[in-house]
Amino acid sequence: MTPANSFWTEVLQGGLSGYILLALLIFVIGLATVLLRRSLLMQFMGVELMINAANLALLAFARFKNGDVQATTFYLFIIAVAACEAAVGLALIVGLYRHRQTTDSDRADALRQ
Amino acid sequence: MTGARDLAALLPLAIPAAAACLLPIAALDKDQSAQKWIRGAMFFMAMLALLGSFFYVTQLWSTGHQPVYAQLSMDRLAQFAAIFVLIAAALTVLQLWDHLHQEGWVKGECLALLLTSVSGMMLFTATTHLMLLFIGLELFSIPLYALTATLRTRSEAAEGGMKYFLTGAVASSCFLMGAVLLYGVTGTLDVSEMGIRLSVAKGLDPLALVGAALLLLGFLFKASAAPFHQWTPDAYEGAPHPIAAFMSVATKGVALIALLRIFPGLVAGGDSLLGVKVRMAIALAAVLTMIVGNLTALVQTRIKRMLAYSSISHAGYLLLAFVAGTPQAFTGVLFYLVAYLAMNMGAFGLLTAFGLVGERVTFDHLRGLGWKRPGVSIAATLCLLSLAGIPPTAGFFGKYMIFKELVQTGHVGLTVLAVLASLVSVYYYLRIPVALWLEQPKTSIEREAAELPAVDAPFAGATVLVCGALVLACGFLQTLLVNGFVARVIRDWMGIIR
Repeated sequence: MTPANSFWTEVLQGGLSGYILLALLIFVIGLATVLLRRSLLMQFMGVELMINAANLALLAFARFKNGDVQATTFYLFIIAVAACEAAVGLALIVGLYRHRQTTDSDRADALRQ
Repeated sequence: MTGARDLAALLPLAIPAAAACLLPIAALDKDQSAQKWIRGAMFFMAMLALLGSFFYVTQLWSTGHQPVYAQLSMDRLAQFAAIFVLIAAALTVLQLWDHLHQEGWVKGECLALLLTSVSGMMLFTATTHLMLLFIGLELFSIPLYALTATLRTRSEAAEGGMKYFLTGAVASSCFLMGAVLLYGVTGTLDVSEMGIRLSVAKGLDPLALVGAALLLLGFLFKASAAPFHQWTPDAYEGAPHPIAAFMSVATKGVALIALLRIFPGLVAGGDSLLGVKVRMAIALAAVLTMIVGNLTALVQTRIKRMLAYSSISHAGYLLLAFVAGTPQAFTGVLFYLVAYLAMNMGAFGLLTAFGLVGERVTFDHLRGLGWKRPGVSIAATLCLLSLAGIPPTAGFFGKYMIFKELVQTGHVGLTVLAVLASLVSVYYYLRIPVALWLEQPKTSIEREAAELPAVDAPFAGATVLVCGALVLACGFLQTLLVNGFVARVIRDWMGIIR
């Protein structure tokens, strides 16, 4: 079997590299959403995707290291932190919407020279 | 797992955090109906918490006690960072009192957020464990997003806060992904342990490379180094002046100190493939930062944008020390940070001391003001000369220490570039003293100012004077400061690593 073949077999059989590949894919999708979309809410969702991609990778690594307790704890902390970030982020979006009546990030250009 | 459970390591963080939990109770007022004494009590409480933590840390410093609580170690480097952050925060609180009254928006939650940020910064600099690093990073960033947009009646503030939040959240998630990938490759969350495992590994795992790059991105973003600097001018302009000063000084400072702490682990002995690549990336970022920061600062017409680009360029000089990578260069970084604290706080404090509110403060607003309040203006001029790196001020010696090490490790080209960049910076820094002392005030601006009530900013004025004095003191007593304080940090910290 060629190396490429064995890689895909591992992915299909639920090996570690499958999880990591999926996590990296979600991470890139999230990053692309932030960079390409022009609605603040969608960009914010992109950020959440990036964080959760990291979460997925973390849990996969932890599982394949016999359920490392430190990593699993880290995962719980990340969820809490992401919730705090969401609270502040949504408040900021609402604050900006009250001033501009839009959540289009291209219109947030008053500070440019 | 270490069994050390010394509560003394937690106390410096716990004091500001506890005060941050108490402050919102005092801040429960609608509109501006709060009595002046309540407002005074809130600021007093915040100062008290900062002072309490400060005295505790200085106590630890003088006894040489370096407590450890599990992954959190309050060693000399962490104590240095804590003192640095606490002084910056205390100056910020004093300036906030004046600035928020000028804006007519005195709210206690500002102080609560600031104190939360302070304890997050202490956590961020006191550990090599990636989980605590991430929690510390978020604990100091999230309050800063809210602080940037704190003057919420103003649409520019909301916009600045939003931009800072979105870019900051992306940088944090990149940092997180980097941490997770490095954990996956090495199987440990501790960076110092990670360095050992990476240095014995054969070849270079692409995942480790991506992880290290993403981790570095998080640090460079917080230090506002190019190409991750675009948020800086907008966030600083939207934020209240003292908060902008705090962000520029403390965020950059702790990002660099934390990078300094994990740097030996990340470069893994220095000769490994990963180490070489990390150093190269930092050198590239430093060069780009100096060029972009200085050249863009030249063409700014608004003072806060100019100061924002200047703070970007200073991140470039500081990153050069990581390229050199010697203990003396790291000593230079810490000395430079102390100097930077004084000079940038003074430069931003000038705006508050003259009561220039709003996000469009141009050089024209400062014209001729020097003669009205000479004391504050002289102190601010000293701070600006120091930012430009003119001897015998502190800024000159900070740059000198870093550049000297750079030459000695054979990076002459980089040094020449850095010196040229700091020569360019003299031009834009001197625009402020020139406006203050040499130019006639514009009649339109003078008429506007005459209609407003007279500016009374005793605390902000005092902080500027203190900063001016500190800049001179760091300049004249630099050998004393370096040997007694800064070099000791690096020596003790390097001792722990070896």
